[in-house]
Amino acid sequence: MSHEYVPEIAVDREGKEHVVQGWQGDYEGGKLGFWLFMLTEVLMFGAMFMTLTYYFTLHHADFIKASSELDRTLGGVNTVVLLFSALTMGLGLLKMRSGDVKGAKLMIWLTILLAAVFLGVKAQEWTNDYHEGIFLGLDSMQAGGGKSFGEILFFGMYFTMTGLHGFHIIIGIGLMLWLLKRINSGKVSPDHHILHFNIALYWDLVHLIWVFVFPYFYMTGAGVIHG
Amino acid sequence: MANHKTVDYQAEKGIYYKVLFGLLALTALTFIQPEMFLTQYTFGMQMLIGTVKAWIILMYYMHLKGEVLIGWTVIFAVFIVVFFFSIVMIDVSNFQYADVSHITSPAQ
Amino acid sequence: MSKSYFDETHCAFGHPKSTFMQWMLTVDHKRIGIMYAVVMFTFFFVAVAAALTMRFELFAPGQQFIDAHTFNQAFTLHGVVMVFLFIIPGIPAVFGNIVMPLMIGAKDVSFPRLNWFTFWLYIVGCIVALSSLFNFNIADGSLVFNFADTGWTFYAPYSLNTDTNVVTTLVAAFILGMASILTGLNFLVTIHRLRAPGMDFFKMPLFVWGIYATAWIQLLATPVIGITLVLALLEKYFGIGIFDPAKGGDPVLFQHLFWIYSHPAVYLMILPAFGIMSEIIPAFSRREIFGYRTIALSSAAIAGVGYLVWGHHLFTSGMSDLAKTMFSFLTFFVAIPTGIKFYDWIATMYKGKIILDTPMLWALGTIITFAIGGLSGVTIAMIGADIHLQDTYYTIAHFHYAMLGGVVFLFFAGIHYWFPLVFGKMYSEAKAKFAFYTLFIGFNLLWFPMFIAGYLGMPRRYFDYLPEFHIYHQISFWGAIIFVSGLIFMFYTLIQGMRNGKPTTPNPWNATTLEWHLPSSPPPLENHTKVPYVDFRPYEYHHGQPVVKFDENMKRID
Repeated sequence: MSHEYVPEIAVDREGKEHVVQGWQGDYEGGKLGFWLFMLTEVLMFGAMFMTLTYYFTLHHADFIKASSELDRTLGGVNTVVLLFSALTMGLGLLKMRSGDVKGAKLMIWLTILLAAVFLGVKAQEWTNDYHEGIFLGLDSMQAGGGKSFGEILFFGMYFTMTGLHGFHIIIGIGLMLWLLKRINSGKVSPDHHILHFNIALYWDLVHLIWVFVFPYFYMTGAGVIHG
Repeated sequence: MANHKTVDYQAEKGIYYKVLFGLLALTALTFIQPEMFLTQYTFGMQMLIGTVKAWIILMYYMHLKGEVLIGWTVIFAVFIVVFFFSIVMIDVSNFQYADVSHITSPAQ
Repeated sequence: MSKSYFDETHCAFGHPKSTFMQWMLTVDHKRIGIMYAVVMFTFFFVAVAAALTMRFELFAPGQQFIDAHTFNQAFTLHGVVMVFLFIIPGIPAVFGNIVMPLMIGAKDVSFPRLNWFTFWLYIVGCIVALSSLFNFNIADGSLVFNFADTGWTFYAPYSLNTDTNVVTTLVAAFILGMASILTGLNFLVTIHRLRAPGMDFFKMPLFVWGIYATAWIQLLATPVIGITLVLALLEKYFGIGIFDPAKGGDPVLFQHLFWIYSHPAVYLMILPAFGIMSEIIPAFSRREIFGYRTIALSSAAIAGVGYLVWGHHLFTSGMSDLAKTMFSFLTFFVAIPTGIKFYDWIATMYKGKIILDTPMLWALGTIITFAIGGLSGVTIAMIGADIHLQDTYYTIAHFHYAMLGGVVFLFFAGIHYWFPLVFGKMYSEAKAKFAFYTLFIGFNLLWFPMFIAGYLGMPRRYFDYLPEFHIYHQISFWGAIIFVSGLIFMFYTLIQGMRNGKPTTPNPWNATTLEWHLPSSPPPLENHTKVPYVDFRPYEYHHGQPVVKFDENMKRID
C-alpha cells in the first residue's frame, strides 16, 4: 500500500494524545519481523548441526579422516571472499543511510560480484570432489561402496549443508538484484531503506552460517590428528 | 516512515574496517591453530573461534548492539538450540546398545 | 450504517470488480480468517470420514470393508489431514486472524500482504497433500489410491522404503510448516508493534497471550521439522544414511527431530484454545477473571517447558536411560501451569453470575474432558506406566481427550462465541445446545472405552483385534455414530444461523474486551472507528455489568 499514511491519534481520559502505531511503514516492525525470520533459519541450521554432531559422536574417527580430505585452500578462499562481501554490503547500507545512493548501488554490485566468485569457487570445488568419486548419489557413496558409514555421512552432510548454504547465496543474489530494481524505481531511498537494511541482515546471516559451516567441515580434520 | 537522522559515512565506516581486520585475524587464527597449539582440542578451538567471530558479526555488522527486544529474542532462540543440542548429545553419548548395534560399524 | 467487511476489502494488488476475486486477493484479516475456516473444516470432514471408515472396519474382528493396507492408509490420512491441515493452522489461523487484531485495537496484522501470501501457501500445501492421495497412471488413465501408509509420524526407516506417496506428503508438510512459521511471525510482530496505546502486555486479553505463546512455538519449532523432512527426502534419493540403520543412520535421531517439533506442536494447538476458555469464562460468569497474571504467565510457561519434553515419545525407542529419566521429570512440570489455569477458571466462576449459553456450555464441557485428557497424560509421563501403555488405545484415548476434547471443543466454543461478531447474526440457541449435548455424550462414549481397552492391551493402529476387545470397539462405534450426527447437526445449525439468523447488536454477550466495542456487527473494513486508549484491565465487571464503556469515537464515558 503505497499511499501516504497519516498516523492516528488516540486520546486518553486526561485528554493527552498518543500516536497510534499503524502497520504502514513500520520500520521497527519490519526489522523485528526480519529478525524473527532469521531465527527460523538459525533453528533450521541448528537442527542440521545437531544431526551432524550426533554422527560426529558416533563416528568420531571416520569424521576426522573424511574432513582431512576436503580442500582447505578453496574453502579458505571462500571464507575470505565472503568476509569481504559482508564488508561491501555493510558499507553499501552505510552509504544508503548517509544519502549516497549511487555509492550504495556500486557497493551492492560489488557484493553480487563477490557472491558470484564464491559460487564459482564452490562449483570448482564440487567438480574436483566429483572426480574423486565424492558426490551425492554416486555408487562410491553408498553403503558397501568402499567407504565407512561415518565417511558417507560426513560427505553427505557436507553436500547437504554447503548446498543449502549455496542456495542461500543464490537467493541473496536474487534479493540484491531486486533491491537494485527497487532503488532505481525510487521505492528504496535514504529515507525509506528498510528493505536494504533487511537484505544486509540476510547477507550477514549467510556469512554467519558459513562461519560455523567452514570450520566444522574443513578444519575438524586439519593438522595433527588425534583419533 | 521517515526514520532516523542520516548518518555520517566517513565517521562510521571506520568501525566496519576495524571489524573486517578483526575477522581476518580470527580467520588466520583458524588456519594456524590446528598446526600450532592445543591440537588435541582442534574441534573445540575451532568452534570457539567461530563463536567469537559470530559474536562480532552479530554485534557490529548486524547492529544487535543496543537492541533490547531483538536481543532477547535471539538469546531465546540460541538457548533453545543449545538445549536441544545438549539433551540429544547426552542421549547419544550414553548410548547403551552399542554392543548389539549395527549403526556404528558396517555389517561387513 | 457503515459498510461491513463483507462489502468492502483491500486487495493484495489490483482492484478487481468481481466479488470472488476480491475474496481471493483480500488482505483483510477477517476475510482471510473466514477463508481459512472454510478450507480447514472441509478437510476436517475428510479426516472424520477416514476415522469413521476405520470405526466401521473395527466394529467386528476380522476383515469387513477394507483390507489391512487400506486401513493403514486410512489412519495415515486421518492423522495427516487432522494434524497438518486442520489443527496446526487451527485456532491461530482462524481466530488469531479474525479476532486478535480486533482485541488489541489494530487495523490489521503487521504484514497484511504476507498474511495473504501465507494463506495461499497453505492452499498450495493442501493441494500437494491432496495430490499424494492418488497415483495417476497415464497409460490407461486410471487413478490408484496410493496415500502414504506410515502413520502421520513418518517414522524412518519404513517411510524411506515404502512405495506409497510419502515424498509428496513430506513436501506438503514442509510447505504447510512454512505457512505456519509465517503466520506466527506475523502475529508476533503484530502483538509487539500494533497494540493500542496504553495497552501493555498485562492489559492484553488472555486470548492474545495464548496466540503470543503459540506464535513463538510456530516460529521456533517448525523449522526443525522442516529440515527433518528435507533430510528424509535427501536420504531417500541419495542414500546418505542419515536415518536408515542399514546405512549407518539412527532412526532414534529421526524421532528426536520429529518430536522436537511435534511435541511443542500440541501446545501450539492447546494454548490458543486455553485463550478462548479464558475469554468465555469471565464473559459468562460476569466476573473479572481470577489470577489474570498467573494465567498469562502460565501460557508462556507451558510454551517454554513444552520445548523441553519431547523425549517422552521415545521411552520405548531405545533412548538412553539417563535421557528418559530427565524427560519424565520435565514432563511432569507441564502439568503445573496447566493446573494453575484450571484452578483460576474455576475460581473465576465461584460466586459469579453464570449464564449457561452455548459457548459457556462448551467451555464447561471442556473442563471435564480436558481434565481427563490432561491427567491421563500425567500417568503416561511415568516411564514404568508408559512402557505398558505406549502405543495402546490408552494413549490414543488420552490424545483425543486432550486434542478433540480440549482443542476442538474449545474451537467450537470459540465459533459459537464469536459467531455474532463475524456474521452479525445469531444461530438458534436451543438447537446449538442440543448439538452440544449430543456431541458431548457421543464423545465420551467414543473415547472412554478406549482407556479400558488400551489398559487391557489393545494396541493402536491395528486392523484386527482379539474377541475380548469386541465390546469396547462396539461401544466406541455407537459413540462415533452419535458424535458424527451431532457434528453434522451443529454445522447445520450454524449455517442456518449464518443464512437467516436474527441480527444481533455488536455486543450480544455483554463481554468486555475490545472486539465487542466495534461500531457495527459485522465489523467495518478497518475495524474500530478510532483506536481507543487502553487504561483498563481486559475483564472489568462490577455487579455483573461491564465497567468500561465507549462513545462512538472510542472515548471512555464511564
